[in-house]
Amino acid sequence: GQTQKMNLFQSITSALDNALAKDPTAVVFGEDVAFGGVFRCTVGLRDKYGKDRVFNTPLCEQGIVGFGIGIAVTGATAIAEIQFADYIFPAFDQIVNEAAKYRYRSGDLFNCGNLTIRAPWGCVGHGALYHSQSPEAFFAHCPGIKVVIPRSPLQAKGLLLSCIEDKNPCIFFEPKILYRAAVEQVPVEPYNIPLSQAEVLQTGSDVTMVAWGTQVHVIKEVAAMAQEKLGVSCEVIDLRTILPWDTETVCKSVAKTGRLLISHEAPLTGGFASEISSTVQEECFLNLEAPISRVCGYDTPFPHIFEPFYIPDKWKCYDALRKMINY
Amino acid sequence: QSRQESPEERPQFPGASAEFAERLEFIQPNVLAGIPVYRVMDRQGHVLRPSEDPQLPKEQVLKLYKTMTLLNTMDRILYESQRQGRISFYMTNYGEEGTHVGSAAALDASDLVFGQYREAGVLLYRGYPLELFMAQCYGNASDPGKGRQMPVHYGCPERHFVTISSPLATQIPQGDAPGAGPDPVPCPRDPISGHFGAAAPGSGTRAGGPGGRKAPDPRGFFPGSHPVFPAAARGPGYGLLSIRVDGNDVFAVYNATREARRRAVAENQPFLIEAMTYRCGGRESPQKTPFSRGFPPKTPFPMDFSPLSRIGHHSTSDDSSAYRSVDEVNYWDKQDHPISRLRHYMANRGWWDEEEEKAWRKSSRKMVLEAFEQAEREPKPPPRLLFSDVYLEMPPRLRRQRAELERHLETYGEHYPLQQFQK
Repeated sequence: GQTQKMNLFQSITSALDNALAKDPTAVVFGEDVAFGGVFRCTVGLRDKYGKDRVFNTPLCEQGIVGFGIGIAVTGATAIAEIQFADYIFPAFDQIVNEAAKYRYRSGDLFNCGNLTIRAPWGCVGHGALYHSQSPEAFFAHCPGIKVVIPRSPLQAKGLLLSCIEDKNPCIFFEPKILYRAAVEQVPVEPYNIPLSQAEVLQTGSDVTMVAWGTQVHVIKEVAAMAQEKLGVSCEVIDLRTILPWDTETVCKSVAKTGRLLISHEAPLTGGFASEISSTVQEECFLNLEAPISRVCGYDTPFPHIFEPFYIPDKWKCYDALRKMINY
Repeated sequence: QSRQESPEERPQFPGASAEFAERLEFIQPNVLAGIPVYRVMDRQGHVLRPSEDPQLPKEQVLKLYKTMTLLNTMDRILYESQRQGRISFYMTNYGEEGTHVGSAAALDASDLVFGQYREAGVLLYRGYPLELFMAQCYGNASDPGKGRQMPVHYGCPERHFVTISSPLATQIPQGDAPGAGPDPVPCPRDPISGHFGAAAPGSGTRAGGPGGRKAPDPRGFFPGSHPVFPAAARGPGYGLLSIRVDGNDVFAVYNATREARRRAVAENQPFLIEAMTYRCGGRESPQKTPFSRGFPPKTPFPMDFSPLSRIGHHSTSDDSSAYRSVDEVNYWDKQDHPISRLRHYMANRGWWDEEEEKAWRKSSRKMVLEAFEQAEREPKPPPRLLFSDVYLEMPPRLRRQRAELERHLETYGEHYPLQQFQK
């Protein structure tokens, strides 16, 4: 159908617009969303759908999520915004102890599947400790919720619409560094991209590389470097859904290539790469030609002035890949 | 003997000391919305009631004034420097200068302050040097905070100011703590101050806050035209002695803080002070903030906020269209500003005049610019400081990661901005 040039925040707006149009019970809320949001993701929605459907909340993450759960329990569609993923932690109890367990603990008598939580995520160049975090690993450890991270505007709209329509509570992290920087032709009409399906962006035979969000672009560049400098053919996978994750696509790829590199900004220890690595060595042990490589943030809070040294950039990924090839 | 006096006729619920009611009547929530605003001076700096004039010595009043104006000058220069891409972020204190210095002057220098992030005037009043404000904003090698945090996240143990963190209202339950426990910290350090700002009243953590002992809370803000819950009106609900003061009146802030401190120590209970300031203007249209600070190229960090009760924007992540006119005196006079009010008070006493104002304006600007240029020239701390202070002792795994980075830089160092950092 008809497409339009959109950056990441515009593709989010488009998804929310579609959702509000299609689903008369849908509401969008969070801090400062009424005037358009601090990243402009909700611009124009209040004018179009009214103050009863697009509204501000007090500054209280626990309240935002709790309120969203309440709406979802009544059967309406709740789309909650947390202003930065770094500030999601006051809502952790509501997410982990309430939202995730609602269906299970009630024997499926009740659920809050109509809840979607959105939050800006990841490094932005100068965000330091509290505007750069990637907290997906905390939530990956929680059965009952879904965690989704898009790499681009086209992906974001389709994945967000799937989260909103999914009958389970979902957390949707949006790479803030891409809000303006990433631009694509995106369909104006609604469309869905399935959850729990990883995408192979580029096929290859020598190494599998897995990432999500912003980091997908880094490993794509590394794949090009590897081909050019080392003659190495890389298979590049965007995981897209962290929980429940697509083990089949990743394991099938590693069974073919024999080498796996996983990369994320979040700290190494307990980061989601450790779950992927552990599963792959179980499933593909005899296929592996080298230890699985994880290129991640260090085990420190996210620093301000040292960010260029902290992040798992293409040079660190390239170097790890080279070592794997030469193992 | 009345029916109410026999035991069966009074509510026996634990904690309830009321009587029964036979009429169905709800308590109005906004019964306290009209809390009067305590002030000492009118807008022309005249003390309205002589008994309320704290009669501070000239030297101290000048210090209050110079701190406020120096802060304002520093704000302008650093705000502009962010717009130019020289520092990554900044938050001004416009309009709140009076609450900072009024409360700081009323506290003892050793009272421990847990701030939110817009209390730089407290630190400045306590003598924190311009060089160190700048060093933190630049994240350079002189920053006692070791370049770890975004600009304006100051901290100073010597001046009893706990390092700022970005999450809102987290300092409130923390600020409640000293003085609790079996053997409270001895007296001079007991009073602590948890400042919080406009957004905090909605925050859940506020509910976890004042309730302990010896915790004066000299400043809260009420965002003027946003219907967030008024702080002072909530105080009684939390069992707190509360007052609302005119935040544009340094002496009102001073008096309230001084008295709250005195009573908090004497009576062992917390106080809530809500200092009101004005909102200014509407929300300007958002604009991109182009800046590049070297490697790696950064995208703008667009955050467009409605200004709340302060005069400036929430932070530099707001738009760039509202650089204040150079003629700040007229601006302040129009807007009723703590700086102009105090200046009138001083002028009324013959303690200040136009010439001194001009000379001070010039010299304070010079001081700020010198500190600023110096900070900009300085290198950043050595990259290995990325790894320390996670714990008191460095775990072996982290030590290995540090070694990994060192090895990595030996091979790939050309791709990193090493020339900006100390070795």
